[in-house]
Amino acid sequence: MRADRVRMLRRIVSAIRAVAGMPDYDAYVAHFRRCHPERPVPSERLFYDQFVESRYGDGPTRCC
Amino acid sequence: MLLKLAWLVLGLGGAGAWGVLALHRGETISAAWLVLAAVGTYLVAFRFYSRFLADRVFGLNDRRATPAERLANGRDFVPTTRWVLFGHHFAAIAGAGPLVGPVLAAQFGYLPGTIWIVFGVVLAGAVQDFIILFGSMRRNGKSLGQMAKEETGAVTGVLAMLAVLAIMVILLAVLALVVVNALKDSPWGVFTILCTIPIAVLMGFWMKVWRPGRTLEASGVGVVLLMALLVGGRYVAESATLAPLFTWSAPTLAYAVIGYGFIASVLPVWMLLCPRDYLSTFMKIGTILLLAFGILLVMPPLRMPAITRFVDGTGPVFAGKLFPFAFITIACGAISGFHALVASGTTPKMLIRESDARLIGYGGMLMESFVAVMAMCAAALLDPGIYFAINAPLATLGGTAASAAEVIRGWGFTVTPEQITGLAREVGEQSLLGRAGGAPSLAVGMAHILSGAFGRSLMPLWYHFAIMFEALFILTTVDTGTRVGRFMLQEVVGHVLEPLGRTSWYPSTILASAAVVGGWGYFLVQGVTDPLGGINSLWPLFGISNQLLAAVALCVGTTILIKAGKARYAGVTLGPLAWVLLVTLTAGWQKVFADDPRLGFLAHAAQVTQQLAAGAIEPARAARLVFNDRLDAVVALAFMLVTVLVVAASAREWVLVLTRRKPATVKEAPFVETAYAG
Repeated sequence: MRADRVRMLRRIVSAIRAVAGMPDYDAYVAHFRRCHPERPVPSERLFYDQFVESRYGDGPTRCC
Repeated sequence: MLLKLAWLVLGLGGAGAWGVLALHRGETISAAWLVLAAVGTYLVAFRFYSRFLADRVFGLNDRRATPAERLANGRDFVPTTRWVLFGHHFAAIAGAGPLVGPVLAAQFGYLPGTIWIVFGVVLAGAVQDFIILFGSMRRNGKSLGQMAKEETGAVTGVLAMLAVLAIMVILLAVLALVVVNALKDSPWGVFTILCTIPIAVLMGFWMKVWRPGRTLEASGVGVVLLMALLVGGRYVAESATLAPLFTWSAPTLAYAVIGYGFIASVLPVWMLLCPRDYLSTFMKIGTILLLAFGILLVMPPLRMPAITRFVDGTGPVFAGKLFPFAFITIACGAISGFHALVASGTTPKMLIRESDARLIGYGGMLMESFVAVMAMCAAALLDPGIYFAINAPLATLGGTAASAAEVIRGWGFTVTPEQITGLAREVGEQSLLGRAGGAPSLAVGMAHILSGAFGRSLMPLWYHFAIMFEALFILTTVDTGTRVGRFMLQEVVGHVLEPLGRTSWYPSTILASAAVVGGWGYFLVQGVTDPLGGINSLWPLFGISNQLLAAVALCVGTTILIKAGKARYAGVTLGPLAWVLLVTLTAGWQKVFADDPRLGFLAHAAQVTQQLAAGAIEPARAARLVFNDRLDAVVALAFMLVTVLVVAASAREWVLVLTRRKPATVKEAPFVETAYAG
């Protein structure tokens, strides 16, 4: 019951973050483990830094 | 069967609401009819037209894996559920444009603007967004410029990129001007907006240093702080010692915004730009929901006539007749070329299945149009006299409430000086006269709606909330736009001089940022010092440039259709393209060559020259005005030239393909079967 609620809350939080354009670190870790099992998983700090750099690096993200 | 009946009722409901709008001319009607007519039309268009586009024209196929699936990297290629992505896409395309444009166009009355907002979006704007999103999705998320280059050749690609850069400069200038006009001599507004800078820096450190990646925590703290300081702004405005510190004139504010734009462009993104972006995204979505809720709850009557006498082109807010200027002024609420950049940016990399593009591309733009309809309601619920007092240039109104009331009565609208000063006092400002740009009248309208819904005593708070919210996300566009402009400039210059193309090389960053800021800053200062109020010349220039970008996007869309062997459906993009070209080229031509000095740049320059000869104007000022007029004329002509070249290059491609002198092949990524369960 409690675990369900925590999972639900997680999903809501990650949806709100996605609306603002911020990808989910947990999902990234899952993806990374699946596709690059041989490499160490980047830290959340590194993930965030790289995301911010790439996001504002190319093309407009906001309209008029 | 029941479902079909429901659609019939919906269609009839929308049509009935249009009927009410058409028949009740000259009487006051409720905003509810406007909202009902719009929503009914959207739903029917979404159900039938967007489905036709999705199934017949584009052939969306859910068996085909999207880039988010094939290229998933957990960072930008992320499969995202449909409604979340809808929210993300909407937050990215919605900005100040759909709020400001309709407010300005209310000068013609609420009906012409509303018709264009609703039918323009259904037949043109949403189609453009949808086809570009579709094209980019089939090409691994390529940008509009890359698609233009691949489908119609390198020259078109370079032209499209130049057009984007030039439009960005005009866009940033006019948006910054909207902020300046809203904040000049307003200590409460200036204080709150200044506070957003330290709040954003605090959030930046929170997310980068203290609690990496905790976006929501930081944004929550930011929003709470911002609200507290918004309330506190009242004490600043009422304090005899603090108020003068934050009472800034328009030129001072203009230079402050320019300086801010430069700093935001050279600082690391995590420190200022990214946190402000989050803050403004959450504020934007929250406020738009609040506004929709308020309008539905209050259902305010529309006091503005359906059509005013200013359709003849003598309007004080901006010059020009209903055709073409209503269509130019509405800008983003009906069709926005800028959306093509976002629709070919982050969104196509996140679609989980192809059919979602319909809700997100077409539906997202319908939502944007709905924001424009709400802005129109907020402007039209004001007394017309008040509306013109806020939006006409000071030079026309004279400096006092008495002179303004006199002038406005001359236009046939009743308003007393007491009403004008009373309203300013009611929202906690010294004066609302001559604040062209849309933001203040929208804020007054919003304050009316929200205080109607939540209590009248909060009126000044709601007004400054609305001002703060608009200024916040306009300045976010200024930040991100300057930065993007800087990257584009560095890329262009990098072809000529290699070191200047390195985006991480500090001297190059400083130079390119200064060039971009200098570009829009010049037009901003020109607008602030313009005797006609700046919005008069810059907003049409922005509207023209934005729609010319839409023409470029529609050309790319048409090319995609023709090359995919769908030439029989090319009308879905060719129709809007023809209309957009007709409107913008007419408007551009009139802005340059019209004989009326209020309308034509060159006629205005000639008028100033005559005044100089008569000794009615000092030489330095005359020289500056004439130079600015000629510069604006050159810019307008350059926009028109670039567009005509893109259209010509695309048309040549279409003829080559249709006459089989060139193979009809599109450069789509190859088909891969999806691994998702159906």
